[in-house]
Amino acid sequence: MKSNKIRTLRGKANGWNVFLMCVLVMEFVVFGIANPKFLRIPLLLSSVNDFIAICLISLFVTFVMITGGIDIQAGAIVGLTSIIIGVAWQDFGFNIWGAVVLAVVAAALCGALSGFFIAYCRVQAMVVTLGGSFLYAGLALLVSTLSSTESYQGISGFPESFKALTKFKLFGVIPSQLIIFVVMIVIAYLLLHKSKYGRRVFLVGVNPQAAEFSGINSRLVVMSTYILSAISAAIAGIVLTSYLGTAKSDLGSTLTMNIITACVLGGTLSTGGKGNVLGTALASLIIGLMRFGMPLCFKVGTQYLDIPVGVLLILVVVGRAIMEKPQTAVVLANLKKKFRPAAKAAQ
Amino acid sequence: MNKLKALLKARETNSFLFLVALFAIVSIINPEFASVENISACFNSSVVYILIAVGMAFAILVGEIDVSVGSTLGFVATVVGSMLRDGVNWGVAFTVGILIGAAVGLLNGWGVAVMGIPSLIFTLGVNGVLRGAMYVYSNGAWVENLPKNFKNFSSVTLFGEFTVYFVCCLLLVLVVHLLLTRTRRGRYFTAVGDNASGATLVGISAVKTKIVAYVICGVMAAIAGIIFCSRIGFVTSISGNGYEMKAVAACVLGGISLSGGVGSVVGAAIGAVIMSSISYLLVFMGFSSNYDNAITGIILITIVVIDALLQHRSAVRMRHERLLNRTAGTVEGGDGK
Repeated sequence: MKSNKIRTLRGKANGWNVFLMCVLVMEFVVFGIANPKFLRIPLLLSSVNDFIAICLISLFVTFVMITGGIDIQAGAIVGLTSIIIGVAWQDFGFNIWGAVVLAVVAAALCGALSGFFIAYCRVQAMVVTLGGSFLYAGLALLVSTLSSTESYQGISGFPESFKALTKFKLFGVIPSQLIIFVVMIVIAYLLLHKSKYGRRVFLVGVNPQAAEFSGINSRLVVMSTYILSAISAAIAGIVLTSYLGTAKSDLGSTLTMNIITACVLGGTLSTGGKGNVLGTALASLIIGLMRFGMPLCFKVGTQYLDIPVGVLLILVVVGRAIMEKPQTAVVLANLKKKFRPAAKAAQ
Repeated sequence: MNKLKALLKARETNSFLFLVALFAIVSIINPEFASVENISACFNSSVVYILIAVGMAFAILVGEIDVSVGSTLGFVATVVGSMLRDGVNWGVAFTVGILIGAAVGLLNGWGVAVMGIPSLIFTLGVNGVLRGAMYVYSNGAWVENLPKNFKNFSSVTLFGEFTVYFVCCLLLVLVVHLLLTRTRRGRYFTAVGDNASGATLVGISAVKTKIVAYVICGVMAAIAGIIFCSRIGFVTSISGNGYEMKAVAACVLGGISLSGGVGSVVGAAIGAVIMSSISYLLVFMGFSSNYDNAITGIILITIVVIDALLQHRSAVRMRHERLLNRTAGTVEGGDGK
């Protein structure tokens, strides 16, 4: 009985992923017809630079949302990592890779701090990460004042080895960002769906009390998800800094809605307990390609891109709410009844 | 019940004392600050924040949240600003602005209360749509050249240094506070926020109450947008960005519990004054305004963490007392037999 239920759940998740695949293919078709330039492989592959941050972060924000929390501070952490790399390298004489490690550690600490308040002091995730988004954006600004460069200019002139991180192309076409994305998907997938830790994350999301009683340190699990999402934000910050060649404190300040949309569109339940990495990855690609294709094919200004993403978010949540209403179930059942006699008659 | 009332009172008094202490500390560090002009400037510049915080207080009181107020403010400011610039009658422009606010509130209320979508996610989507709509409406250009007398109206003062806006805003807060605490319908909001299914059982429609709360929130944001226009004198395409977060922070600072049902609009207004004064106060303390966000974040996190710890402790104590009472009862009952 129980295994049946799990199987149907898994079936549903797969069904949703298939739907997302269809949407992705449809995007290719529509954008490709509107402007054949869209399908040029090098252009398409390099477009990943514009939305890589959304892809990387949403993978691990999925973890947070499965435990029933939410993370709106990730965008601020992207800026913080970027500026820490810049200032540590330029003004404190760190080796560039030392600066990168320092930035990742700092981001992990930020995530741990917020996670600690959420898990151990039982403050709502929404408020803590809201405070965190202020705090870490503010810290980023303060760190930028330590530098001799004016903060609005950003710190540039990084060594080639650091820039090469994102200039590298496998077989001359596949940019390293895409490879990083795939590696992160694999890591997130193994962690969430194939490991003990992943099972714990799900159980904590479904029922924290039950998780606690079955010997899981649910608070530690909750805290760890925030650390993971902060680290993914740090990686996004490194990739962006390396690609743009400038460290700025306000990188990533506009990411929040895109990240949440990617998670929700990917089938993650914001009340916790449900979600999968592949869905989020597909959804983030859908959003990314939309952000790339709309300006290219339909001459939509980049400032307007919040509209389609917002509409998408609303449509998905409303659609899902309608599907879950008992009335819809009745309507669907009636429809089935109506069509079944017809089918029988045809036989 | 009396205890609860005392607690409610204490929450606002605490934030008020915090505000007074803040002013006192800054005056000690920099005596120049302690003048009527500076302090009234703090209050006068907080009008926009007070309005959106009071609106947000309604959304939070019923146990939801509305993160679309920032872009509602921006969108209304853009529409009303450009209408005034083009010489449309003031009354018409204001009515259109407030209707837009109400419509956004209705949409939010429908999504959250009727469809049962988590409020943060739904209003985040609406936020994005409105932000984009703002660009579409203004073509990304600034709305400038507003009528002079509209702009000048923001500097008309009453009672010494206080602007007309601040005085009206204060009256509005008081009226709303009285309506919320002294009328039957006003109490519905806290009842629904405290226990939605319980409220439904005694005949209060949680859905209707939540929709009304969102409409009030939207209208407040719209009024704030109009005043924003008048005070600042121009509207850019990023006007109102981040105001939603400041409004939530103001509510939390004002002692409103984010789980709903606890708090008052007076608290929200006090919180809003604190929030908007911080950057002003920092200048007087000799810090650059770069510290603004970091300090806001620290204050916000500290207050919610302390609040959560205190709440947890009182919950544990109450459970303990209940348990003691129950066991005492059974022992007595056993004796009786």
